Amino acid sequence: MQNQSLSLDRFSVGAGAARNALTESAAVRWLLTGLALAFLALILVIPLVAVFTQALDKGLDAYWAAITEPDAMSAIRLTLLTAAISVPLNLVFGVAAAWAIAKSKFRGKSLLITLIDLPFSVSPVISGLIYVLIFGLQGWFGPWLAEHDIKIIFAIPGLVLATIFVTFPFVARELIPLMQAQGTEEEEAALVLGASGWQTFFRVTLPNVIWGILYGVILCNARAMGEFGAVSVVSGHIRGLTNTMPLHVEILYNEYNFAAAFAVASLLALLALFTLAAKTLLGKKVRQEAQTTTK
Amino acid sequence: MSIEVQKITKKFGTYTALDQVDLTFPSGELVALLGPSGSGKTTLLRIIAGLETPDTGRVLFAGEEATNRHVRERQVGFVFQHYALFRHMTVFENIAFGLTVRPRGERPTKARIRDRVMKLLGLIQLDNLADRYPAQLSGGQRQRVALARALATEPKVLLLDEPFGSLDAKVRQELRRWLRRMHNEIHVTSVFVTHDQEEALELADRVVVMNQAKVEQVGTPEEVYENPVNPFVFNFLGNVNLFHCRDQVAGEFWTNSAAAISASAGEKVGTVGYARPFDIQISRTADTNEDIAAIVLFIQGAGALPRIEMRRPDNGQIVQAELPRDRFRQLGLRIGERVFIRPTNVRVFEPNYRI
Repeated sequence: MQNQSLSLDRFSVGAGAARNALTESAAVRWLLTGLALAFLALILVIPLVAVFTQALDKGLDAYWAAITEPDAMSAIRLTLLTAAISVPLNLVFGVAAAWAIAKSKFRGKSLLITLIDLPFSVSPVISGLIYVLIFGLQGWFGPWLAEHDIKIIFAIPGLVLATIFVTFPFVARELIPLMQAQGTEEEEAALVLGASGWQTFFRVTLPNVIWGILYGVILCNARAMGEFGAVSVVSGHIRGLTNTMPLHVEILYNEYNFAAAFAVASLLALLALFTLAAKTLLGKKVRQEAQTTTK
Repeated sequence: MSIEVQKITKKFGTYTALDQVDLTFPSGELVALLGPSGSGKTTLLRIIAGLETPDTGRVLFAGEEATNRHVRERQVGFVFQHYALFRHMTVFENIAFGLTVRPRGERPTKARIRDRVMKLLGLIQLDNLADRYPAQLSGGQRQRVALARALATEPKVLLLDEPFGSLDAKVRQELRRWLRRMHNEIHVTSVFVTHDQEEALELADRVVVMNQAKVEQVGTPEEVYENPVNPFVFNFLGNVNLFHCRDQVAGEFWTNSAAAISASAGEKVGTVGYARPFDIQISRTADTNEDIAAIVLFIQGAGALPRIEMRRPDNGQIVQAELPRDRFRQLGLRIGERVFIRPTNVRVFEPNYRI
């Protein structure tokens, strides 16, 4: 008995020493944490506070007027519309691509993965320009489109196309590693038990990644609503018609209408805060999803 | 339902997993596919299930061509090595899955499905865990749920991939016995893959020993253990000692064959003799001049048969022996001691076939 307690003592001393060996002294810890926090305050918190103080600089009435002004309302509507079209499309595409990449073997798989990443590596301005070059008046299909009176560039279809291109990787990128980690055994089990391809997809594959999908959609939506560069190129900045919220902020700012610019910007900032919160909550769920393998 | 595979070949790139394999699994038997990893046994199981397509060859179910039949039409039950339970479904939903995905016309009523699942839960003794999720179960419980799920659709064939591979020894023993009992009750043709010879010998009606994409031997556990056809099978089914023999005598089973064993090193040898550790006798004195001298290296006294490891000073070879308990106690061996060994049963195979 005595022996046991002795060895236990030694063990706990050993564990304590090990803990100390992996931890810096208190001063160093405070310094590092303090540095990180100061940096965060400087580049994140102060600007965020500035957005809201500037927005409310002239009072709540002015804030409300800036947001409900017809051009601002139209910009908000257009932003919501663009996101409402491009996010579902990218959701379907992302799930399909991730499923193909993670669950099956085919030629050209690595090429597909590279292509999915393309929008991340291309400057958004170039992304917009691509569509101008293809669908613009001087572009490949421009004359034909003009003949048939179809407007893509400087119109809503152009905005949607550019947004889809830019937000294209989010859902797929989120799902591919998750699905790969989960493997294909459950799908095989479903097939052996007599499930059809669709049944396997909807009853086994999809429920296993549902939080991952939501996570991807949140990120995709945030980018779709906040995108500036690509949209700016194809929009043509027609007030009340092809101005999304970020573009509207720019116009107001250039007109020295700071309070209004920051009012609209504060809406985008709120979206960012909401996204951040949702992301944190969902991130936990996604990690659980990846970990609760039945192994 | 009987299963037959004919001339099955399967390659993954340049790697040959199966090479012209012919096998028959008689109806109602429990067959073990036994072999080291990479011997192609799991690939064969997956080909029978329809999860893998063979490059050449045919699969017959009850004499009917099934090579191109889709996996969901084969009516096989498959138990995966890591169980592959549906992680977002409860135990109940997991077991019911095979019944609920049937087309509307063939699907049993909800009450029927419930009855069937509850019956299976009783069979696997997990009645009270129907609402648990797989993550909340122990390994042994998951394995039993996987079995119940596979049995729910009343498959014609039950295929198990390393069914007890990731369980600890105690649970493994228990589940083995349980599987044996269950097979005696429902008598569905069953094939299980294992690399554990003990498991194969204990559980199976018939053992298929595989190595490097080929079948080495097929037979009852007694047949493959008592009459292995080559050194690989002999070695794979248990520990073995090698002796280089003077005489070229092949294919005979020698008893008291010490006369054929060369005690000297460096001599030109032709044939290799194989002896199990429990067929080695140890004594303090040389009874005949054919006895081989050895130095005791290591003694493992625990267990049913104490194990003694020795080295022959003449050629440096390690010899393992297992002694009955009372003989071990009577001898009272010590490490470093010089003893004499005599193999009592030596098996000799074709000279060109070595381990």
